[in-house]
Amino acid sequence: MEEPRIGVYICWCGTNIAKMVDVEAVSAEVGKLPHVVLAKNYKYMCSDPGQELIVKDIHGHQLNRVVVAACSPRIHELTFRKAVEKAGINPYLFEMANIREQDSWVHTDRTEATSKAIDLVVAAIRRVQFHEPLQKRSVNVDPATLIIGGGISGMVAALEIANAGKKVYLIEKTGRLGGHVIKFDLTFPHLSSARQMIRPILQRVENHPNIDVFLNTEIRDVTGYIGNFKTTIRINETESTELRFGNIIAAVGLKPFDPSKIEEYGYGKFPDVITSMEFEEMLGTGQVLTKYGKEPRNIAIIHCVGSRNKKYHEYCSRTCCMVALKFVHQIRASLPSANIFEIYADMRAYGKGHEEFYALTTHKQIIFLMYDQQERLPVISQADRNDNCNMVIRMNEKLSGESIEVPVDMVILMVNMEAHENVKEVVHAIGVSLCGNQFFIEKHPKLDPVATTTGGVYIVGTCQGPKDIPDSVSQARAAAARILATIATGSVAVEVTTASTNEKLCCGCQTCVKVCPYSAISYNEEKRSSEVNEVLCKGCGTCGSACPAGAITSKHFTDRQILAEIEGIMSMSFKGV
Amino acid sequence: MSYRPTIVAFLCNWCAYTGADLAGTSRLRYAPNIRIIRVMCSGRIEPTFILKAFQQGADGVLICGCHPGDCHYQEGNYKCLRRFKLIQKYVDQMGIEKDRLQLEWISASEGRQFAELVNNMTKTLLILGPSKIKSSLEVEHLKQ
Amino acid sequence: MSIRVNPDLRNELIQFGIGDWNACYHCGTCTAICPLSEEGFLFPRKKIRLMQMGLQGPLESSVEPWLCYYCGDCTKTCPRDANPGELMMSLRRYLTSTYDWTGLSKKFYTSKIWELAWILFFAALVIISFLVILPSFGYKFTTELTAEGGVKLNSFAPIPIIEAFDWIMAIIVATLLISNILRMYYKIIWKNSTTKVSLWVHIREFWLLIFNFAVQPKFSKCDDKRYWGAHWFLMSGYTIMFIVIVVFLPWFQTEKILPVWDPQRWLGYYATFGLLFGLVIAIFGRLKKKDIKFRFSHVSDWLFLVMLTLTVITGIFIHIFRINGMPMATYVSYITHMAVLVPMILIEVPFSKWSHLAYRPFAVYFTQLKKNAVLK
Repeated sequence: MEEPRIGVYICWCGTNIAKMVDVEAVSAEVGKLPHVVLAKNYKYMCSDPGQELIVKDIHGHQLNRVVVAACSPRIHELTFRKAVEKAGINPYLFEMANIREQDSWVHTDRTEATSKAIDLVVAAIRRVQFHEPLQKRSVNVDPATLIIGGGISGMVAALEIANAGKKVYLIEKTGRLGGHVIKFDLTFPHLSSARQMIRPILQRVENHPNIDVFLNTEIRDVTGYIGNFKTTIRINETESTELRFGNIIAAVGLKPFDPSKIEEYGYGKFPDVITSMEFEEMLGTGQVLTKYGKEPRNIAIIHCVGSRNKKYHEYCSRTCCMVALKFVHQIRASLPSANIFEIYADMRAYGKGHEEFYALTTHKQIIFLMYDQQERLPVISQADRNDNCNMVIRMNEKLSGESIEVPVDMVILMVNMEAHENVKEVVHAIGVSLCGNQFFIEKHPKLDPVATTTGGVYIVGTCQGPKDIPDSVSQARAAAARILATIATGSVAVEVTTASTNEKLCCGCQTCVKVCPYSAISYNEEKRSSEVNEVLCKGCGTCGSACPAGAITSKHFTDRQILAEIEGIMSMSFKGV
Repeated sequence: MSYRPTIVAFLCNWCAYTGADLAGTSRLRYAPNIRIIRVMCSGRIEPTFILKAFQQGADGVLICGCHPGDCHYQEGNYKCLRRFKLIQKYVDQMGIEKDRLQLEWISASEGRQFAELVNNMTKTLLILGPSKIKSSLEVEHLKQ
Repeated sequence: MSIRVNPDLRNELIQFGIGDWNACYHCGTCTAICPLSEEGFLFPRKKIRLMQMGLQGPLESSVEPWLCYYCGDCTKTCPRDANPGELMMSLRRYLTSTYDWTGLSKKFYTSKIWELAWILFFAALVIISFLVILPSFGYKFTTELTAEGGVKLNSFAPIPIIEAFDWIMAIIVATLLISNILRMYYKIIWKNSTTKVSLWVHIREFWLLIFNFAVQPKFSKCDDKRYWGAHWFLMSGYTIMFIVIVVFLPWFQTEKILPVWDPQRWLGYYATFGLLFGLVIAIFGRLKKKDIKFRFSHVSDWLFLVMLTLTVITGIFIHIFRINGMPMATYVSYITHMAVLVPMILIEVPFSKWSHLAYRPFAVYFTQLKKNAVLK
């Protein structure tokens, strides 16, 4: 290894750092250290002149390592890596010391803050001496895509990709495409027909030359990594086929909550207590009738069934409020004089046109009654013989503070959307993770809501969380766009700071195989050592710290580098008494 | 010179380190006797690092990771927790009080909690006094 | 005990002028802004909730609508344009109909034809009495004038008969009103099974009734004091007129032309101006619709104003024509006066808008009783 020639730069960040840290003292102090060729301070290191200063010094002083003490590396590490790369040095031969967010901004004693800055810079100088150049890597992408789930999200994503001329394998567990949407009559808030909307999509999917639909098919196991996945699916009892694809979209959807778990509602006990899904099907028949074939006079719609209740599901299903209001219009159309009760916990009308839809519906002569999830759920019971109704709902009405009885002939339970119970199989097959509510976790909740932490695997629609049709479709199209971009590029970059094994040191205990959350390490029986698939590895380093033989190196976070950093921190005044 | 406790902290990149940055952007104040080392995941923290810090003279070592279930790498924090339980027993037997080694979950939004944690740990270390291992190591060094 | 929701109550309430009440989303701004709403007697929000839910029982036992004097602040500040002020007004109409045991009030409020028919019926009765019945007993028009040159009114409308008729009418109206008030008392105080009010409290707080009838101190708590002033002027004029007509008719309906400084004339002029002043403000207010309290007019509101105005104007005419010796004009004015006054008293006082003269002071009294109630 060539002798380290380190350039150190202390940023003032205007007065942000310079006010609390004596930048002159820091640069003077660290300039005395071995291997430090120069130590400078400058107003704004991240500015163009600041970056040029580094580039010029690298050329002028033959620097081969650079340390910048400035803000958090989470903000400008990439900026400076690019700057040193521009000067011809490998970007990983650079280290940053955080003397703003974790020093000048949180301390009030200038001497203390200055001595802390010195420690942090010294640690970075010690660490950077052990940095190794790392090379960017990429893999080729297979242009085919696997889509799991033939609901509206899966179908829209399939069409988007297929229309761009790329192959799609669409896998559907059941015997038909269309998911839940095909069972709906109307959609909110425009009361347009769901069937008219989904039928043409379905036909286009079925007839598209680039889409291969596999009905009654489930995914068992997917192997490979971004750009190069493969799986085997059974076509019938005897035949099976192998599919190869570069990306995966999971669009496995959800299932309605089973309300028989909620004793208060007597679902299953009273024939005229039905779920929202069952009511959708009833609407499809064109008639709203009780089980005895009579027209109901009083209809109650109970919201948040299984939602927003710690006993069942804590989350909000987002769509049920609007569906419940939609039902009002549909009931009014067939039973103009029926009394309709909306028994709700909170009316949520968050989306485009939703508040307007709520306002419109309030004019439909309905009675809104509010209950408190925390306090008590409404209780449905059989009506007395001399009541002129089927059932009675007893509840504490929140806005009036009264305990009341509501006469009803039919009750519609707005059931929560919950994850499929077999979602774990899919999770295992494609290597994504689940949140506490069994929905798929996205890569970033705000900035990357369709990707997952597994490269090449995307999640769309309600398997990521409850959502309405427009949100599902947006996600589907977004995921398709992401996939088409990687297909167009032909290759994708993969993580550089991965783990690697040293065959000679590996004792074959396979601890690393067990701890890896990405199944990136496998045991090679022949070589009797573990091997890291660097395409799958995300660089968390858990294997490195678990390896009893010290055979695994976590690149850019090696033992040597971190130990040097600890030594650096403790080498100056920071030893206490 | 009066006793000034020293803390070496290992923070995971995604939650705790970001939380510490947030304490800075929120201009919260905390004791200046902490030095933070960034790792990608709390699962990367090896017993060696902890022992090294104590050996080098740290009065306390703080480990922070994502809250359970929030790990960027799915479950690195659980592995960290298991390791932590073991190493805490181990350092205790070495004569380093258990409270000198702490593990806390700090999310990216918990800047305030991080600042409070540093202050509380500093108080604990002030009560405990300087780490004894430090003076015995120094004696060893002088003997040599 | 839970209260049964009556989903059909809505259809009933709508006939009393209530519109889109689902507009209210219970922010409570109306209750917060109301200078009359107080702990234990909160309105309008709570009452709107009872209406929305169809809780007939609690609604009928509410005293709060009578404590509202419709300043309109609630409607002005309502973020949802739910119009709480008018909802309270409609509730007062509804409550009036529930106190009335004859069921006529509801008929009058909900059917314009029914109300007009009864007005016309009573008017016809009055006209027939003067044109056919009284003349048949010898009470005829006479164009002969008194010595002073005034019209001989008393020979056409004999005082004993008119006075007797006044008393009969007063007794009928009082009987109806008192029985309705007892029903109101039953609903608001008696029916409440959890609290009771001692007899001593009933006696001790009775002065409130008279005080509130005479001064309307609650009304004066609304931010705009002008309406309280105008209303008091009108109300004092009406009370004076009522007393002189029923109790002092021989002194009031005189054939003499009294000097201008005579107290009889001054009392009459004061009452007339008081009534006219109040009426002009109300009529112009309802026409201009600038103030919220006058923006929404139910048929019953207009009918009352028109009839009272006609009564006052014809009363003025009687006076002018009589002292100027114009017999025919006086008689026509007198018959018209009576033909408007009689149906107005018989319909408006016990069954419609004018019943508030009793319900409002009693509501204040009952409120005070409720405040002093103890748990059983």
